[in-house]
Amino acid sequence: MSESDANTSKKEMLLEIRGLRIEGYSDENWTEIVHGVDLDLHRGEILGLIGESGAGKSTIGLAAMGFTRDGCRISGGSIDFEGMDLTTASPDELASLRGAKIAYVAQSAAASFNPAHRLIDQHTEAPVHYRIKKRLESQEDAMELYHKLRLPNPKEIGFRYPHQVSGGQLQRAMTAMAMACRPDLIIFDEPTTALDVTTQIEVLAAIRDIVDQFNTAAIYITHDLAVVAQMADKIKVMLRGEEVEQAETAKMLEEPEEDYTKSLWSVRSYKRQQKPRPSGTTPVLSVQNVDASYGEIPVLQDVSFDIYAGMTVAVVGESGSGKSTTARCITGLLPPTSGKVLFNGEELPSDYKARSKDQLRQAQMIYQMADTALNPKVKISEIIGRPAYFYRGLRGAELKKRVDELLDLIELEPADYYNRYPPELSGGQKQRIGIARALAANPSFIICDEVTSALDQLVAEGILKLLDRLQKEFNLAYMFITHDLATVRSIADEVVVMRQGKIIEQGPKNEMFTPPHHPYTDLLLSSVPEMDPEWLTTVLEERGVDNIGEGALKKT
Amino acid sequence: MNDFVIGYYALLIGGSCLAAYYQKRTPFLLLFSLTLASFIMGIIGGEGALWFVTIVAGIIALSAGTSYAFREFLSIVLPRDMARAIRTAPLTASFGIFVVMTYAIAGIFAPVIAPFGEAEVISSAFAPADETMLLGADQLGRDMFSRIIYGARNSVGIALLATFIAFFIGAIAGLMAATKGGWFDQIMGRIVDVVMSIPSIIFALLLLSIFGTSLTTLVIVIGIIYAPRVFRLARAVAGNIVVMDYIEAAKLRGEGTWYLIRKEILPNITAPLIAEFGLEFSFVFLLVAGLSFLGLGIQPPTADWGSMVRENATLVSFGEITPLIPAAAIALLTVAVNFVVDWMLYRSSGLKE
Amino acid sequence: MSDVLKIIAKRLGLGFVTLLVISVIIFSAVEMLPGDIAEAVLGQGATKENVAAMREQLGLDRPAPVRYFEWLGNALTGDFGQSLVSQKPVSGAIAERFANTLFLALYAALIAVPIAILLGVLTALWRNSLFDRVANVATLTSISSPEFFLGYILILFLSVKTGYFPSLAKISADMTLWEKLDRMFLPALTMVLVVVAHMMRMTRSAIINLLASPYIEMARLKGVPGWRIIVRHALPNAWAPIINVIALNLAYLVTGVVLVEVVFVFPGIGQMLVDSVTKRDFPVVQACCLIFATTFILLNLAADVGAILTNPRLRHPK
Repeated sequence: MSESDANTSKKEMLLEIRGLRIEGYSDENWTEIVHGVDLDLHRGEILGLIGESGAGKSTIGLAAMGFTRDGCRISGGSIDFEGMDLTTASPDELASLRGAKIAYVAQSAAASFNPAHRLIDQHTEAPVHYRIKKRLESQEDAMELYHKLRLPNPKEIGFRYPHQVSGGQLQRAMTAMAMACRPDLIIFDEPTTALDVTTQIEVLAAIRDIVDQFNTAAIYITHDLAVVAQMADKIKVMLRGEEVEQAETAKMLEEPEEDYTKSLWSVRSYKRQQKPRPSGTTPVLSVQNVDASYGEIPVLQDVSFDIYAGMTVAVVGESGSGKSTTARCITGLLPPTSGKVLFNGEELPSDYKARSKDQLRQAQMIYQMADTALNPKVKISEIIGRPAYFYRGLRGAELKKRVDELLDLIELEPADYYNRYPPELSGGQKQRIGIARALAANPSFIICDEVTSALDQLVAEGILKLLDRLQKEFNLAYMFITHDLATVRSIADEVVVMRQGKIIEQGPKNEMFTPPHHPYTDLLLSSVPEMDPEWLTTVLEERGVDNIGEGALKKT
Repeated sequence: MNDFVIGYYALLIGGSCLAAYYQKRTPFLLLFSLTLASFIMGIIGGEGALWFVTIVAGIIALSAGTSYAFREFLSIVLPRDMARAIRTAPLTASFGIFVVMTYAIAGIFAPVIAPFGEAEVISSAFAPADETMLLGADQLGRDMFSRIIYGARNSVGIALLATFIAFFIGAIAGLMAATKGGWFDQIMGRIVDVVMSIPSIIFALLLLSIFGTSLTTLVIVIGIIYAPRVFRLARAVAGNIVVMDYIEAAKLRGEGTWYLIRKEILPNITAPLIAEFGLEFSFVFLLVAGLSFLGLGIQPPTADWGSMVRENATLVSFGEITPLIPAAAIALLTVAVNFVVDWMLYRSSGLKE
Repeated sequence: MSDVLKIIAKRLGLGFVTLLVISVIIFSAVEMLPGDIAEAVLGQGATKENVAAMREQLGLDRPAPVRYFEWLGNALTGDFGQSLVSQKPVSGAIAERFANTLFLALYAALIAVPIAILLGVLTALWRNSLFDRVANVATLTSISSPEFFLGYILILFLSVKTGYFPSLAKISADMTLWEKLDRMFLPALTMVLVVVAHMMRMTRSAIINLLASPYIEMARLKGVPGWRIIVRHALPNAWAPIINVIALNLAYLVTGVVLVEVVFVFPGIGQMLVDSVTKRDFPVVQACCLIFATTFILLNLAADVGAILTNPRLRHPK
């Protein structure tokens, strides 16, 4: 793609957005959510649109089709597509563009396919409607596209219903559907966000290939820099409905200009030294041969690992690997069917209801979604103060002193936060309150369940640093559940890799990140996108197209 | 063609033209379609139909005006954040609040407002309205107006009491089931399924035939019949809360069920529960009215709207509207409550539509 | 298909158990009478001999479970025992009246269902328009009005003042169909008013729910024309909610007739129930309650089975 970069300026302009303003309806008022954005796209060019949630990326993506969701309206600016202004075009004119000239690929393929019809019938709908192809022709073409997108059984898969096909395959089928009329422009709206990394790489490779082959222009919307680096010719960074900066991909990665953009890049640099196990002590937590099941379905098999005081053990795996289930077994929410959990050498009762107050106090938990982890109707002082009162019986001035102390620890000004409620805080502040609540119990062990994955990069880094400082100060043991290998690299001492309820491999971090790996670990490591535009090309060359994603998973 | 008809059409057509000139789309469509409809209705129903339209329009305009003024009044009188909510409320909601308040005043101050006692016989049966009797007399010669005022106290009071009982049982059981889960939840769910598969009016009739029709049994029977509905709702809204991580955190801290319900769950579900209270109240109110109408609810000589309709029903066949007044009183209150509930549900649903 | 069959069998089994439990409730309710049924019926004027004779006649000396199974067995063969008041078999009187009630419900349903679904879809499509708001206020008003209020208004304006329709719905078996329909128009209309309001609101919210799903947005973004989105993308997924709405309202029609029958003096099962409650004629009360509850449960069952059958995820298993 890098050769084509130089040529883009000579190419024909396809989409030209000027001063686009969009308003959203909330609390009985129209408030502006996109504040005058410009965007240029030439034929065959791919623009990456990145930013945090709420940056207005998807809204702009949809507006490029002349479409706004219910409760949104375009309030200013122009959207020029091949000489037609989409802001003033009639509904009929707009409808005749959609699907034919501009197509859309949604985030959740499972929800965006109609459950009542076969994939191929939904595929052929647009071409038949626009009389571009006959039904049979279009079906042939669909199979061809399925083949190109490396879907298994391309001749047959289209005749299945959406719920009969896996998530990664559906996403590729939707890309095929978008290609059905050979549009000039495709909007990809976070197409791989809901997928696991090993599936994501396969979809990314397929999308990049097909867009390249048909020389289709695309707007690729995502919050993941490493992903957009693989896909886009140029990148536009968005923040709260405004453009921060735009540049060609290579330039943007090497020398970002704005502070905000730099902050997005910076997180990957934070790294902590690996600590060795303390000698001659019993582990704080020891999981021994634990099996567990949800009803009849077994979810964990023979899981064993130890966590020592002052150390961080990262448990890594994709969705459904059993890492959160392991946490539920440790906390006693899901009593294991066999095996035991030892705490400082003593066996814990398997059900949390049978545990003593002190046993409950020793193990605390920090959650992924700070929004659901803090009760929105309870004051911060009460949220943090309750464990202190509950376990230690602190009240009155003593309790207030303890809450102030805890707020100090998490670097929030006590006087400002004491009387506030969670919805008034930002995501990072909420996560800090969650940490304070765990600390309030004076635990010796904390489970961190994906604590940074819902946060923006810079905020996440702050949380990681805070956790690290607290670990040193109180000699805490952490079990760090995550799917993000970059986080593992920066904070773990030991790593446990899980898949389908079993431990695949475990050991000290540095060992785990140096070859030779277990084949699955290898696949996992190589599937994580890196901030290098050539990463995907290199991986594909190294592993071969058939050795990534679902194909490779079957072999391991 | 008399003055009324000419005036009627002149007003409508003039209004339509004005609306069209000032490009007010909605009022124009409304006025002009009314004009067209009036042509047809006038041809079929004659002047009477036009009077009917005029009266209905007048009533709607009057209530809209009242609601508008009342909303402005509330937004000035109430504290700041409540006033903000009121200001954006639709007219139907402020109409509902106005009606509910009126009923409350009538019910609370009934002895002061009503000129006669509820069981006081003051004239002959079915005596027509005069200066002392605003609405005439009923089948025993009691003052209709006084009985309607007292009815506000009796009918509404009993429905409120029954709703409170239903809520007390249903909400507590629902919250317990959601919080505890497991077999308790399962068993409660099954029991509720069974009870709810008997239509409420049939169940009420069955139980009342067994236990008699005293006020106490009436209130308890209706409370028990409606408790499962409240249970389902409380279980459902609390079910959305108990899956939250903060509940898990509190459970893992070792907190008891009662603390979870009181401190963690209840504050998050008050809005839907209050709306549901309004909704349940209107169901219960209609059921009590229906039972009284059948002669199986509130017993004479207590003044009650449902039984008043039954006692005076014969007047309808003489073209009198008096028996319809207590029925209209029932409908008006239920409509008002539903308007308010509708608005509250709309607000709490976070403007999803 | 075996998955679907399994789910349906499970649902039918559950319905059967529910019916059984309800028959127990209806039977034991009478057992809970203070004293026993003989004392309750004979009341103050009961002599010892009277009570004893009645107990003998009703077989009260045998244990309750035995009598329950006897009662249930007889009920299943259509024998509901003897009325305490008229001393005639209950079944004969009920059969005719139940047929009348079903006829009235069907009459109302045939008018209400098409109108309600059409209007419900229209309000959903034109949501937040003037039409939608007027419909919202009108349906709320109709739902909030007691049936007897609507009934008497109709009597006053369409019968007493204008004489278009008869105010009393007295029908007998020897009338022609046309005569019956004319006599029953006002009670049917009363029920139509209430049911249309309920159904419209339910249809509207079901459709709006559906139109908010991502696959409808996807269809719009594919350029699929409006009518085709409704017919091809929304409708196949709307069957379950629509079937549900219809069944729920039919169930309402069958049970909600009680008040309407009393207002219009219609010879249906509802009025019979009210009469026998007043007269404390327990065998008749039990029979009516059992019939109402069974109809109600069967309709709900039909709705659930319909929803399962039209669910594409279940129709095409993995």
